[in-house]
Amino acid sequence: MEKRGENVGAAGFAPALDVSIGAQTPRRSLRQGDAWRSLTLGLLCFLMIAPLIMAIIISFKSPSQFTRLPFLPALPLRWENYEFAWQIISQFLLNSIVVSGATVIGVLVLSSLAAYSFAQIRFPGRTFVFYAVLALMMVPASLTLVPSFVLIKDLRLMNTHWSLILPWIAGGQIIGILILRAFFESLPREMFDACRIDGASDWQIYWHVALPLTKSMLGVVAILNILGTWNNLIWPTLTITERRLYPLTPGLYSYMEQYYTSYGRVMAGLLLGSVPLVLLFFFTSRLFVEGLTSGAIKT
Amino acid sequence: MVVPTLAFLLVFQYYPAVSGLYRSLFDWNAGLEGTFIGLANFVELFSDDRVFIRSLRNMALLTIWYLISFVGISMLVAVLIHRIRNEGSKYIFRLFMILPVVIPAVVLILLWVFIYDATIGPLNALLTALGLQDWTHAWLAEPKIAIYAVMFRNFPWIDGVSVLILLAGLQAIPVEIVESGLLDGASGWKRLRYIELPLVTGQIKLLIVLTIMWGVQEYTAVWAMTQGGPIDATQVPGMWMYFNAFRISRMGYASAIGVVMFLITLVATILNMRYIRTQEF
Repeated sequence: MEKRGENVGAAGFAPALDVSIGAQTPRRSLRQGDAWRSLTLGLLCFLMIAPLIMAIIISFKSPSQFTRLPFLPALPLRWENYEFAWQIISQFLLNSIVVSGATVIGVLVLSSLAAYSFAQIRFPGRTFVFYAVLALMMVPASLTLVPSFVLIKDLRLMNTHWSLILPWIAGGQIIGILILRAFFESLPREMFDACRIDGASDWQIYWHVALPLTKSMLGVVAILNILGTWNNLIWPTLTITERRLYPLTPGLYSYMEQYYTSYGRVMAGLLLGSVPLVLLFFFTSRLFVEGLTSGAIKT
Repeated sequence: MVVPTLAFLLVFQYYPAVSGLYRSLFDWNAGLEGTFIGLANFVELFSDDRVFIRSLRNMALLTIWYLISFVGISMLVAVLIHRIRNEGSKYIFRLFMILPVVIPAVVLILLWVFIYDATIGPLNALLTALGLQDWTHAWLAEPKIAIYAVMFRNFPWIDGVSVLILLAGLQAIPVEIVESGLLDGASGWKRLRYIELPLVTGQIKLLIVLTIMWGVQEYTAVWAMTQGGPIDATQVPGMWMYFNAFRISRMGYASAIGVVMFLITLVATILNMRYIRTQEF
């Protein structure tokens, strides 16, 4: 018979189709289909990355090279665009790592603690409190934007990274609680009972039993959270007016505004700013995909 | 163990939410004590505020477009990828779908601001090269065109996350079903229409709800590309709220816009909940 994956229907469950379907025709027609499918998809993918290719080409150009031939590659490559951009972008990058890092740690600690208690500890008002958390899923950022801004002002947190970290921890933990609670509830109850009989406190069970079992789920929550905070453009521009405190996203925006006409430098900056998430993706691609599609898994 | 969570939620979620509802009833400028004016803000929004009405229209337009692209186009791409039989190229195409998520959203938006640029933008350059000078525009600066320029950014309009979600649904279809369908002669479009589409309705409904909620809320792209201009042609409710609150300091009025957006989202969420309850699978 043929190799796996050479069969009708998509791979993954190929063996079931090892029964040859009479004549060869359906199989051949499907294989012919592969060519134009790949071609279409290849074209679409090329169009998707075309702006990035354009950015790469322009990022290596001096202004005069750009004027002569804007969109075709030209020699010599002007690496100094990247040097210039890095001097400005690096500060934004550092801010982003601090802010998103602190937020994600806060979210993981708080949401795992809360999810554990909702799933495993009986306390008065548990269901009510859980629904109170759940209800916040329906409160959009647009409703809280203005009051949150006034609150941050009243707390005198303007122009500090706390003005980003604290609200983002509060908002980010909600989805974390939902995901982690479902996971903790799926763990066998007997296991937790056994720990209690052996005299373990809730803290011990949380730390030594529940958390180690949930590492990959924590990873999913972390990725979702980092993507959210990393890409937030508007809130930081409200609470932070000093540019050197900007995280990457508003930083890139202001960088483009300031240097708009030095196209090479702008493109170099935008590309440099894209690197960290790409790196993150390379090291955690499985969690990434799981996190992004978790909306579908949840239902 | 829930106390820290609750403390955070009370201060940074519940307090602002309640305050937003409450303040929408005030004529309230930053730094001043507001005066209670009842529902006057809402009356003004719907009877006297041309820009707000236009922003609702733009919102509807964008949301419909997002539905077409995030659900329709993504479905076509997902099916194409699903039917590719070579494991290797399938993997590569799936990898490509994640790319737009991995590139910071603001980078893509800013690249499109550049692409649309009237004097040096590649879009106009391309049109000129093709001999279509008459078609060139100041895409983001002409009131009649700007909203479409915002709308059609990110050509070819493939949303990677939607594709992945739909692909996961397609791959979960038991192969026996597809196989028996093929034996009965359902291939190509028929296979899509009668076998695959009905079996991923769950994912499709989910995407529809998520997209609607997102379309109502989203104004980052407008903020970064046009700030609602030119002459309010690309205004959306979120942007109008932002403008009222932080440019002309009408905080109470802005809160009222926030409440309207909240109500629209609420309706969408209730539909969502109902669907999840009936669609357990």
